[in-house]
Amino acid sequence: MAYTAEAFQNEFLALGATEVNAIVTVTSSGAEGGRRTGASEIIIVDCSGSMQAEGRMPAARQAAKAAVGCIDDGVHFAIVAGVSTAQQLYPAPGELAVSTPETRAQAIGAIDRLQASGGTAIGAWLKLAHQLLAQRPGDIKHAILLTDGENGEYKGYLESVLQEIGGSFTCDCRGVGTNWTVPELRKVANALLGTVDIVARPEDLTASFTQMMTAAMGKTSGDVQLRIWTPVNARVRFVKQVEPQVTDLTGKRVEDGPRTGRYPLGAWGAESRDYHVCVDVPAGVAGDEMLAARVSVVEGETVLTQSLVRAVWTEDSALSTRINRQVAHYTGQAELAEAIQAGIEARKSGDDRTATVKFGRAAQLAHESGNRATEELLATVVEIEDAATGTVRLRRKVDAADEMALDTRSTKTVRVGRAQ
Amino acid sequence: MTDCPHCTDERAAGAAFCESCGRPLATGAPLDVGTDCGACGSAGSVATDGYCDNCGMLAGRPRDHAEADAGPVAAAVTDRGVRHRRNEDAMWLAVRGTEVDVVVCDGVSSSADPEVASGTAAEAAGKALALETGVAAAVRAAAEAVAALAGTGDPRRAASNPACTIVAARVREGEIEYGWVGDSRAYWVPIGAERAEQLTEDDSWATHVIAMGADPQAAWNNPQAHAITAWLGADFGVVEPRTGTLRPEAPGVLVLCSDGLWNYYTEPAAFAEVVLASVRENADLVSAARALVALAVEAGGADNITVALIPIV
Ligand SMILES: [Zn+2]
Ligand SMILES: [Zn+2]
Repeated sequence: MAYTAEAFQNEFLALGATEVNAIVTVTSSGAEGGRRTGASEIIIVDCSGSMQAEGRMPAARQAAKAAVGCIDDGVHFAIVAGVSTAQQLYPAPGELAVSTPETRAQAIGAIDRLQASGGTAIGAWLKLAHQLLAQRPGDIKHAILLTDGENGEYKGYLESVLQEIGGSFTCDCRGVGTNWTVPELRKVANALLGTVDIVARPEDLTASFTQMMTAAMGKTSGDVQLRIWTPVNARVRFVKQVEPQVTDLTGKRVEDGPRTGRYPLGAWGAESRDYHVCVDVPAGVAGDEMLAARVSVVEGETVLTQSLVRAVWTEDSALSTRINRQVAHYTGQAELAEAIQAGIEARKSGDDRTATVKFGRAAQLAHESGNRATEELLATVVEIEDAATGTVRLRRKVDAADEMALDTRSTKTVRVGRAQ
Repeated sequence: MTDCPHCTDERAAGAAFCESCGRPLATGAPLDVGTDCGACGSAGSVATDGYCDNCGMLAGRPRDHAEADAGPVAAAVTDRGVRHRRNEDAMWLAVRGTEVDVVVCDGVSSSADPEVASGTAAEAAGKALALETGVAAAVRAAAEAVAALAGTGDPRRAASNPACTIVAARVREGEIEYGWVGDSRAYWVPIGAERAEQLTEDDSWATHVIAMGADPQAAWNNPQAHAITAWLGADFGVVEPRTGTLRPEAPGVLVLCSDGLWNYYTEPAAFAEVVLASVRENADLVSAARALVALAVEAGGADNITVALIPIV
């Protein structure tokens, strides 16, 4: 397994400056000889009464079957039916099946029995998934969660479950239709290091499930972490994944020895991701060179790769004012996601003026950075008159699915120079 | 005689330095991991990457200050200076009896990894000098080695290729053969003379316009005075080193140095005075070289400083 990490930064700081920024690109070539550890999969399908609408239930059944078909031989798996409680649909309650052509056929038969009746209890569903996956320590653990509505559990229950099980497996969340809420599913995805997206039309569920399961089968490491050492009197201000999407990892820090913390990155396959590390350090004098952070990619106690973030203080303003393209670009991408989410919130609360300002800024940032996908999504919510200056007008009639797509995909980023 | 800690090649009898890697035997060795931190005072806190595991400060690089001491035959000292955060100069010194091979290189700060360029050039030229094929061949070998760097390592090297200057000399039976590209210089300073003789002619903007008839004072005061017009690096193309030979008739000192030294003594009289005073007033050659470096540091140390002294009797 070959991992590399490379830091991009302007290490030169003006005298008195204490903020150090770097983008660390982590790349893995994937396993050379196939998966080293086992894997387990849970498919959770919402079977609440509302799933009867718009042909969602048959589409969900078809999608779940397609996902089962993508599970590699030897992977442990189970299907959970999401109603007012969590019911295990396959195999027998409390057990995991080992994937073979026979067990996959049995699971597909069981999926045919799925009926829409009952409520939405996401906390209970995730708890069952967690209990099932806990039987397989050391496995790469993944779940797919499909829902079409808001959680019906008492207030605070889902949060307490996420608190308890957060980080123990990866969960990709999909909302079908437009009656679910983006912030709720985003909360689940963030706690479980997964993705969130809207599947507006039920007929697109199969493609979405196939894509998630195929990606999950490509993972070769289950629990990769970023380990960050900082010098005495320094503080990690934030750690964010910034590519392929923005996820703030700052709050997930777990202390790991003197001046060192770990941040979970979830499962990895052959892929590349970018992280923005921001550290506050004590100021140095001219000519001082300090190691602001030693960033290691680790799996357990194994250091897979390492990169250094440095700070060099200089009186030469030509050096200290030099802008690092990567840092500037991803600072903009993070601001873009924030502007969109703030715009959507303002529009919902009837504050059109704030919404216009926020969406205007978002249009400007998306345009400047070459983030065409986000710019196109924005155009469904506002009329972009001049992207360069951020001049936009709110659309009177906005399709709910379009706005939810913009919301869920606001965190998707592009790399520097890409699509430009 | 001790073995070179940096490589295992055998050294010829009489060599004060490892002839293979050119590093001095006594000083400039890499810092030991686990030494105490000079910045925060933590005991044994310097990690393998050279940074303190407590305060994060860089404990120092081996190239920040290095000395090569060949007793009365030759000496060379290189130093980071004050204003630059690392030493982008590099040197090579190998002696065999009274035969001397010496190289001084100065990395071009605006290029990618200039310290790699200078280190590569000094080593390539030094090794080529030992082949006895002459100074021009040695400079060309250095040019090839530096040009090849653009295609290796960090992709930023391809965009802004590593580059450096070079001045090299070989002393054989009292005859000096020298060659250069860029603005690192070789001087001949006869004992008791009032003026130093600059053997090299800078490949620099100022030298170029002065040769065209510009007022020297005004030319040297121009901000682009030091812009070099020839260098070793992939973007320069084929390097045609300029060379010369000198058979001194009276005793004197051959000096090779980077602009970090000569910048403070641009007048031939001032250069001769400071070199001869240093040689006269210090107990040995390496102390004289160290003293010259110290003067440049005291004068501001605006650049990296490298000086090699080879007396010829
Ligand atoms: Zn220290
Ligand atoms: Zn210089």
